[in-house]
Amino acid sequence: MASLYLHIPFCEKKCIYCDFYSIENSSPMEEFLSALHVEIDAYAEFGKQESFETIFFGGGTPSLLSPQQLESILSHLHHTYSIESDAEITVETNPGTVTREKLTAYRTLGVNRLSIGIQSFHEDELRFLSRIHDSAQALDCIRSAREAGFDNLSIDLIYALPDQTKERWEANLQKAVALSPNHISAYGLIVEDNTPLSRMVRSRLVSPKPPDEEAEFYEMTMSYLDAHGFEHYEVSNYAKPGFRSRHNYNYWKHENYLSFGPSAHSFRREAGESRRWFNIANLSHYCSALQEGRLPLLTEERLSLSQLRTERILLGLRSDGLDVKRLDSELPSSTTSRVQMIHDLVEAGSATFDGNVLRLTQKGYLICDEICARLM
Amino acid sequence: MNQIRNFCIIAHIDHGKSTIADRLLERTGTITAREMKFNQVLDDMDLEQERGITIKLHAIQMLYKAMDGQEYTLNLIDTPGHVDFSYEVSRSLAACEGALLVVDASQGVEAQTISNLYLAIDAGLEIIPVINKIDLPSAMIDTVKHQLKDLIGCNDDEIIPASAKANIGIDEILEAVVRRIPPPKGDVHEPLRALVFDSVFDIYRGSIVYLRVVDGTLREGEKVKFFHNGKVYEAEEVGTLGLKKVRTGVLTAGNVGYLIAGIRDVHDTKVGDTITTATNSAAEPLPGYKDVKPMVFSGVYPTQAEDFEDLRTAIEKLQLNDSALIFEPESSTALGFGFRCGFLGLLHMEIVQERLEREYNQNIINTVPNVEYRVTKTNGEVVLVDNPSYMPGIGEIEKVEEPFIKAQIIVPTEYLGNIMKLCMDRRGIYKNTTYLDPTRADIQYEMPLSEIIFDFYDKLKSTSRGYASFDYDILDFRESDLVKLDILLNGESVDAFSTIVHRDKAHEWGKRLCVKLRKLIPRQMFEVAIQAAIGNKVVARETISAMRKNVLAKCYGGDISRKRKLLEKQKEGKKRMKQVGRVEIPQEAFLAVLSMDEE
Repeated sequence: MASLYLHIPFCEKKCIYCDFYSIENSSPMEEFLSALHVEIDAYAEFGKQESFETIFFGGGTPSLLSPQQLESILSHLHHTYSIESDAEITVETNPGTVTREKLTAYRTLGVNRLSIGIQSFHEDELRFLSRIHDSAQALDCIRSAREAGFDNLSIDLIYALPDQTKERWEANLQKAVALSPNHISAYGLIVEDNTPLSRMVRSRLVSPKPPDEEAEFYEMTMSYLDAHGFEHYEVSNYAKPGFRSRHNYNYWKHENYLSFGPSAHSFRREAGESRRWFNIANLSHYCSALQEGRLPLLTEERLSLSQLRTERILLGLRSDGLDVKRLDSELPSSTTSRVQMIHDLVEAGSATFDGNVLRLTQKGYLICDEICARLM
Repeated sequence: MNQIRNFCIIAHIDHGKSTIADRLLERTGTITAREMKFNQVLDDMDLEQERGITIKLHAIQMLYKAMDGQEYTLNLIDTPGHVDFSYEVSRSLAACEGALLVVDASQGVEAQTISNLYLAIDAGLEIIPVINKIDLPSAMIDTVKHQLKDLIGCNDDEIIPASAKANIGIDEILEAVVRRIPPPKGDVHEPLRALVFDSVFDIYRGSIVYLRVVDGTLREGEKVKFFHNGKVYEAEEVGTLGLKKVRTGVLTAGNVGYLIAGIRDVHDTKVGDTITTATNSAAEPLPGYKDVKPMVFSGVYPTQAEDFEDLRTAIEKLQLNDSALIFEPESSTALGFGFRCGFLGLLHMEIVQERLEREYNQNIINTVPNVEYRVTKTNGEVVLVDNPSYMPGIGEIEKVEEPFIKAQIIVPTEYLGNIMKLCMDRRGIYKNTTYLDPTRADIQYEMPLSEIIFDFYDKLKSTSRGYASFDYDILDFRESDLVKLDILLNGESVDAFSTIVHRDKAHEWGKRLCVKLRKLIPRQMFEVAIQAAIGNKVVARETISAMRKNVLAKCYGGDISRKRKLLEKQKEGKKRMKQVGRVEIPQEAFLAVLSMDEE
């Protein structure tokens, strides 16, 4: 099972915490789109080798695309690649960029899932995060999406903002759940390098939450969503039964994905070799490369067996379990026995183990990275 | 022989030994100012220069045309400047007839100077007192003169005021060396007797022996014998020591020089040994030979188990140049395979550790140093214990004895109280106080050696604003109420943390160590209990709560490589830790005891 990803590198305004590549000026949109079409053609051979079950428009702000622009991309993809008839097609949506009409048009074009960046229902938190919408627009967006015929909606939330109280975070969770989304992604705020937020932290304008306090927010999130019928299937992702993100789940299951657009990352396992390649994170270089008939690559990695193993461990433990038997048969290693380690984890209530699959519990998710490093 | 003068310089660190030596070399034309470069000639190891101390002995020969019109051969023999090497100092002194006693005009006499001075007086050396740095604004020439007169009973006019930096007093020093230091005694016609005062290992030539010929003649081509082990070698090369070796083929009584004899093992060329000819040997060796015994022991382990053989090679190589270092393999449940090393003292230990890391690129973990204990068991058997893990069980011990030292501390009187408190805390037994002048006292204590190997020197300096100076001599073994204190992590004893302490201090020590370890051991996946115990009795406990959170929130397609790299880095960090049971211990923790705070 394989996935397609398209990176739409434009935002009306950049959020202070975001380190994904995008620019605030969307006037080169047409130039970008023609480059994107060239790139889609450039990988056409892969389209003959396997079929794709998900398409994800991420960014940046892909909901800045007009229905016409989206249609031209989608039809090009359908024309060039073998897309399954029940494919999951997601557009990341900023509530400040859409109307009911636009969402209706998206739905008509075959988009069947929206991932809506709500982040918070508190106006001051939205301003702090420098979001372009308010909470009323977020509610409007959900309503419009439903009216447009979407029945698979995901909401993004961010917690552990500086000075955020647990009560305020719980209020966000309550409001989110009250909207009956099918899926919630809840992320602890990460201070990424080279973001306005990291500069604010460096100049001591804000101080990030200490890890122990963030842990309490995370625990609260896990129990709250569990109590409301959401399956916790990845460190930061929760879904109603049957509504896991098939696209992201493919990433975590080490499936192939092919990506387009500046800064996009692709992964492909071929016989005897696995590769990751990354596009350059610069729109004009991206465009000029494709115009000149070159691929806009920044780097390419060929993964060793042990690198693949490490990825398998981290992806498995971060999501819904690591199949230890399969790991050892597919990616064998001479690493010393993990039996004691697994036993200790289970005894401490950090994991469950059925003899094949090691799956983290809430307690285990909290220290997932530590467990991964110990099991590597 | 009448034209030879053998002498050394006794001085405290930084009082100007090296600069005075440099001036003497310059004035006698042994070396030009241009050759002097930036560094002083006598210190040729990086470490020595950085620490401002001379670790290994060397000698240099100068030719000096004196005012009496005659040309003299002056052999300047360097001496190590630290208490750890006092036996080497005594052998260097034994190779001389005189000594320059150099005292900094702004600092006055220090403990180390006094103990070396006593060694020199005991060896019957002619002492030439020199006050250096007289041009400093803070010079207290009269006070220092007073101290010197009290100390050696000399007259005012015997003291040479000097400034090596400003080139004052250098001619006076050279003339005094020629006039006041007696020429060597000795009989050229007697069988050969030469005193070994140092040796250095050269990978091409083997051991290079530095020696002073006392009687007879040493010739190339002759068979020579070492008294202490009776081994015989052929003298391949003999010469004197200029800036470089000067091959002369012959060294006669009274002179100082070197011998190369294809000796592959430095342990055959021990400092203090006597060399004679294999035929027509001298009947008796020169007096004073002593087998130097290490006083401080510590485990040296490779950070990564697979580097054990590399570490062995490195220690073996280092030992070729350092006959005082001893080692043997040992194993620890916490640290795996390593070596128990014996050192002359703490400084010697630090030097060895640094050389292993810097010159031999070894990543090592050192365990907390300890002294050697003499344990009499209930069955009457006496065992020497140089590793706390090997201490017999409490029930098997009749008595434990530990080495005591005589400590000499010189300190301005205003800090006397602080120093006496420190010595009392360290189980010192007060002996007496002498006043060098109204502002400076010389205090003597008898103390357990084990009490000075942990941060005593640092404490001494910090409680006296750096003014106290310290020296010690080993006295004897004395019975003490000593117990082995173990550290348990989650109930499992970590042998590398075991120490032997006085019973009265065990609780306090255990508590401090637990607190320190709680700070140094990072939080883990599981709660970690740190306990200090004597036998089965727990005397202190601390808990490290389990790690609460270590997970990065997001991991999209583009984050996977980044995430993998972060984990690989985290894994590398873990490799540098030692795992005991389920607990990962960082290397710093093994040295925790060395830097224990007093409070």
